[in-house]
Amino acid sequence: MVKASLVDIQHVGKSYGGVQALRDVSLSIAPGEVHALCGENGAGKSTLIKIITGSVVPDTGQVMVDGVPLKLGDVREAEDMGIGVIHQESSAFLHLNAEDNIFVGREPKILGGMFLNRREMRLQTRALLDRLGEPIDQRRELLEMTVAQRQMVSIARALSRKVKLLIMDEPTASLSARETEVLFRIIRQLRSEGVSMLYVSHRMEEVFDLSDRVTVFRDGRWVATEPTKSMTTQSLIQKMVGREIGELGRRHDTGIVPGPVVLETQNLSRGRAFQDISFTVRAGEIVGLAGLVGAGRSEVAQAIFGVDDYDSGEVRVNGNPIRKHSIKESMAAGIALVPEDRQHLGLVLPMSVGANLTMAVLKSLTRGGFISGRLQFELSEDLMRGLMIKAASTSIATETLSGGNQQKVMLGKWLAPNPKVLLLDEPTRGIDVGAKAEVHKLVRELAGKGMATLLISSELPELLSLSDRIVVMRQGRISGELQGPDATQEKLLELALPKT
Amino acid sequence: MKFGTGKIFHRLDQQRELGVLLLLVLTVAIVSIRDSNFLLLGNIRDMLVGAAPTLIIGCGMTLVIVTGEIDISVGSLMGLCAAVMGQLTSTTDGRLGLPVWVGVAAMLSLGALVGLINGLLVTVGRVPSIIVTLGMLTALRGITQRVIGPTWIQDMPPGLRYFGTGTIFGIPVSVLTAIVVVVGFIIMTRQTPLGRRIYAVGSNVRSAHLAGISQTRIKLAVFIITGILTAIATLVSATQLQVIDPGFGKSRELLIVTCVVVGGTSISGGRGTIIGSALGALLLSIVGTVLIFMKLGPSASYWERAIHGAFILLAVLADHLAPESSSEAHA
Amino acid sequence: MIRPRDFPYWHEVVLAVLLVGLMIWAGVTEPPRRNTFVSPGTQLQLSGNMWEMALLTVPMTLIIITSGIDLSVGSAMALSAVALGETYNHGFSVWIAAAVAIGMGLWAGFFNGLFISKLHVHPLIVTLATLAAFKGIAEGYSEGVSVSKFPESFRMIGEGTILGLPIPGIIFMGVVISAAVILIKTRWGRYLYSMGHNETATRFSGVPVDKIKLALYTLSGGMAGLAAVIYGARRDSAKADVGDGMELDVITAVVLGGTSIFGGRGNMLGTLLGVLLVHETRELVSWRWNQAELNLIVIGLLLIGSVLLNRLLSVRGRKG
Repeated sequence: MVKASLVDIQHVGKSYGGVQALRDVSLSIAPGEVHALCGENGAGKSTLIKIITGSVVPDTGQVMVDGVPLKLGDVREAEDMGIGVIHQESSAFLHLNAEDNIFVGREPKILGGMFLNRREMRLQTRALLDRLGEPIDQRRELLEMTVAQRQMVSIARALSRKVKLLIMDEPTASLSARETEVLFRIIRQLRSEGVSMLYVSHRMEEVFDLSDRVTVFRDGRWVATEPTKSMTTQSLIQKMVGREIGELGRRHDTGIVPGPVVLETQNLSRGRAFQDISFTVRAGEIVGLAGLVGAGRSEVAQAIFGVDDYDSGEVRVNGNPIRKHSIKESMAAGIALVPEDRQHLGLVLPMSVGANLTMAVLKSLTRGGFISGRLQFELSEDLMRGLMIKAASTSIATETLSGGNQQKVMLGKWLAPNPKVLLLDEPTRGIDVGAKAEVHKLVRELAGKGMATLLISSELPELLSLSDRIVVMRQGRISGELQGPDATQEKLLELALPKT
Repeated sequence: MKFGTGKIFHRLDQQRELGVLLLLVLTVAIVSIRDSNFLLLGNIRDMLVGAAPTLIIGCGMTLVIVTGEIDISVGSLMGLCAAVMGQLTSTTDGRLGLPVWVGVAAMLSLGALVGLINGLLVTVGRVPSIIVTLGMLTALRGITQRVIGPTWIQDMPPGLRYFGTGTIFGIPVSVLTAIVVVVGFIIMTRQTPLGRRIYAVGSNVRSAHLAGISQTRIKLAVFIITGILTAIATLVSATQLQVIDPGFGKSRELLIVTCVVVGGTSISGGRGTIIGSALGALLLSIVGTVLIFMKLGPSASYWERAIHGAFILLAVLADHLAPESSSEAHA
Repeated sequence: MIRPRDFPYWHEVVLAVLLVGLMIWAGVTEPPRRNTFVSPGTQLQLSGNMWEMALLTVPMTLIIITSGIDLSVGSAMALSAVALGETYNHGFSVWIAAAVAIGMGLWAGFFNGLFISKLHVHPLIVTLATLAAFKGIAEGYSEGVSVSKFPESFRMIGEGTILGLPIPGIIFMGVVISAAVILIKTRWGRYLYSMGHNETATRFSGVPVDKIKLALYTLSGGMAGLAAVIYGARRDSAKADVGDGMELDVITAVVLGGTSIFGGRGNMLGTLLGVLLVHETRELVSWRWNQAELNLIVIGLLLIGSVLLNRLLSVRGRKG
C-alpha cells in the first residue's frame, strides 16, 4: 500500500447472544478508493457497517480514522470523523424538505443558537446540490420526490458533514437503470474528489463496474481483499460461497414442451400503474416478467392475485374468467402469489413456522370447525422436509430462521394449496447464493410437474436462465417478448429502458 | 412570496389549512347573513375567549401528535391545575390564601411535572401514550376531587382573577396569551432546531436516531411543553370563573384533539402545522357559538359533543377522499 | 421438557397470585362483623357491578389482539341505554325495547367497523370520535332524562339467578368460553393473532381481514347494547350517563390480563383474571373507604402499571 489508509478496521468482533456475527475482522480503506464489500446474507456486512457508523459497539477491536481511534458506539462522533452512510431504504425524513433533511441534527444557528440560520441552510444546500449536478427543488418535501432524488439528498447530507468515507448499503436496490447511471457518475466524481467509498451490493456487475478493491466476508470472517481487476465473477462468487458453483444452464435448452394455456390476462389496465397487459402462461412453462423497478410488474402480479383492483380487462384461469379484486376467488382458481417482501407481505414472522406454512390452507385443516393439530403438523412436516427448511421444529418462531429458510417457508406456504399458477415476485431477493440455487432448482422441478409460473426478477441472469419466455414491461406497458436465442441481456435491457 | 398567504401557506398543496380557512369564512358569512347580530364585537370577543385555552393547548397537542403520540390527559390536568391554584390562593373555606405568584408557580410546575411523568412513561417505560394518558386522565380527575374536597373553590384573589378577566388595550388577557403562544409556536416549529427535530422524529424515528437526535428527549420535551401550556391555559380560563368545581376541564382533551385532527395533523405522525390546529380551534369554537345562537337551549352543549365527534370523522373522510399526493415517482 | 422460562402462562400465574393475595389481605385486615368483604354473600352481591364490564372485555380482548382498540364502548352503551329507555317510554314492550337497544349497539359498532375496515382509518381516531359522537347523540336525544320502572320480568335478567348463579354471570361465562374456544381452536382465532402481528401478510394469505374487523367492532357494539340492557334490568334505569368511563375499566382489565396493546398476544384466561382483579380492587376500595375519587386514582394507576408490568415482563421474555 502506497498511501496511508483512511479508515483502519482492526480485529473487530461482535456476537449477539452467543451467535458470532463478526469474528476478528480487519480491513483498511484507502483515501479516494471505492472498496466493495461482498458476502452472502449473514456474512457480517451489516454488522460491520453498524460498527463503523457507531450504532453498534463491537466486543473487540477498534476502528481508526486518519490514525485516530474512533470512539465506538457514538453516531455523532462517527459523523464528526467524516463517516457517512446511505442506507438501503430511504433513511430520510419524508415530511421535511431537502434543506431540513440535510441539516437536521446539526443545524446552522443564529441568535445564540436559538434559531435556524435559514439563509445559510439555503446557500449551502444550493452549493451541495450543484456539486452533485442534480437539479432538485430544495424547498420540496421529500414525500414528493422520487427514490433517486431522496438518495441525492442523503448524499448531500453526508457531504455537508465533510464526509471522508461514504458507506453505501445496496444503494441501487430500488433505482431504475438511468438513475443508477446518475448515481455511478456521482460516485466516480466523489472518488476523484478524494472521498472513499465502502460499497455493499449483491449485484456483481456493479461491483466490477465501480470498485477498486473487493473484500469478501463469509460467516462473519474476513476471507480476502483483492484488487477488483484480478478477480472474475466466478472467483468472487466462489470466495463468497466457499465452493464452486457452475454457471446456470439455460432453461430453453432443456427442450420441455409446455402444455395448454393456464393463465391468461387480457388488456389488464389500472390507471397509470399498468395498461393493456395481455399475456399467457402455459402449463409447465416459466414466463419471466422483466422490467425496471416501477415498470408495474409487482402491480400486475398483485392485480392477478386479487390484492388490488383493476379498471378493465380480464384474468382467466383454464379459460374461466375470475372476478377481480378477490384474493379468495383467485386462490380458489388455483393462483398463488409469493410476494417480494417477506417481512411485510409474505410472512407473519413472530408466529410459528407451522402456522405460517398452513396459513393459506387452514380451512382444509379444520375438522368440525376446529383446527386439527395433527393435520397441521403433518402438512408442516411434509413441507419442511420437501423444501429442506432448516428449523428445529414446526413450532419455532419464523423470525428466528435465516433469510433463505424464511423464503422457503414462504414458498411452502403457497405450495400447500397445490396451485396451478405460481406468481413469484423476486423469489431470491436478499437470500444467499446457496439458498438461491435451491430455489432455482425448485422452480424448475415445479415447472417439470406442470406448474404455470410467472417469474418476476430484477436479476437478469436469473430471468434468462430460468425462463422459457420473457415478457418485458416498460412504464406500465408490455414492450416486447423474448424467446430462445433472442433472449439476451442486451435485448432485454433495450426493451426495458425508457425510450428517450 | 413576501407576505400574506404566500408566507403562511408556504406550499400550495397545504390544502387542508386552506380548506379549514374557507370553511371558517363560509360559516361566519352564512351565519352573519342570517343574523346580523352574530358579528358583534362582543360575540367575537366571547368566541375568542372561549377558544383561547383550546388554541394554547392545541399547540402542544399538535407537537405531541406530530411525534406520533397522543395526550388525552390535558382536560384532567386543567382540572387539577385549577384545583391546586385555587387551593393555594383562595382565602375562604380554610384554604391557604398564599400569594398569587405562589399559586401560579405551583401550577406551572405541576403542569411540567405531569408532562414529564407522561413523557417518561411513554419513552422510558415504553407504554403507549394512549394508555398512559388514559390512565392519567382518570387518576388526575380523582386527585382533583381529593384536592378540592366537599366545598368547591371560591374567592380567588383579584390578582389571580385578572388573568381571566383583565384586558390589555381592550383585548382580554387570555386572547392575547393565545395569540402570543400560537405565533411563538409557529416560529418555533419553522425556525428553530427543536421545531425541526420534532418533525424529524415524527417523520422517521430511526433516521432521527442516526442523525444523533434523541427520540426520548424530543418526546419528553413535547409532553412537558404540553403540560406547561395546559397550566397556562388553565391560568387564563379557570380565573374567569367565580367557582371552580371538580369537573373543570372535563372532555376538553377531545375538543383539542378534534381541532388538531381537523386542522390536518396526521395521527400517524410527521405531518401537521400549528396554523392548521389554530384554524381548527377557531372553526370549532364558531360552530359552538352558532349552536348557542340557534337557541337550542341546554341541549346545545349535549349536541356539541356529537358534532365534535362528527368533525373528526369528517376530517378523516376528507383525508380519504382527497386525491393522493403526487408522490408516485416515475422511473 | 418445558423449561420454566418457556412456560407460557407466567402472566396468568402472577395475576392469580395477586388476586388471592388481595383477597387474603382484605380478609385478614378487616375487623370481624356479620358481612365481611370476603364472605360469599357479599361477593355475590357485589358481583352484580362486574357483569357489564366483564361482557365488554370479551370483544375488547379480540379487538386488541388484532392490534385495534375500541374507545367507544361506554358511549355505545349510553346510546343503547337511551334507545332502551326511549323505546320503552313510547309504549313498546320492554322486550322490543331491549331488542332495539341491542340493535342500536350493533349499529354503532358497525359504524365504527365501516370507518376502520373500509376507509382504513386508525381505530383509535375513529372510536375517539364516536366516543364523543355516540355520547353526544345519547345526551342530546334524551336531554338527560332517566327512564325506569321496568317490569319485574325484565328485571330478572339483571337480578335473577339460576341454580344460585346470577343470570348475567351465566351469560358472561357462555360468552367468555365461546371466545376462548374460537381463539384457541378455530382458524378465526389464528387469523386474529396473525392480524395483530402483520395485517398485510394476513390479507395476502387470503384471509378476509376487512370482514373480520367489521364483525369484531360490530360485535363490540352489540355487546355494549347487551350490557346496557343488563344494566337497565339490574339498576332499573336507562339514561345517557350509563357506561360513563366504562372504556377505561374494560381496557384496564384486558391489558392487565396480559393482552398486548401492540397486538398478537392475549387470551381469555388472562382477561378473566384481569376482570376479577379490577373488580375486586374497585369494590374493596369502595367497601373500605367509600370514596369514589380514590377509585378513579386506583384504576388509572392500575391501567398504567399493568401495561408497564406487561412491557417489563415481555422484555425479559424476549431476552431469555
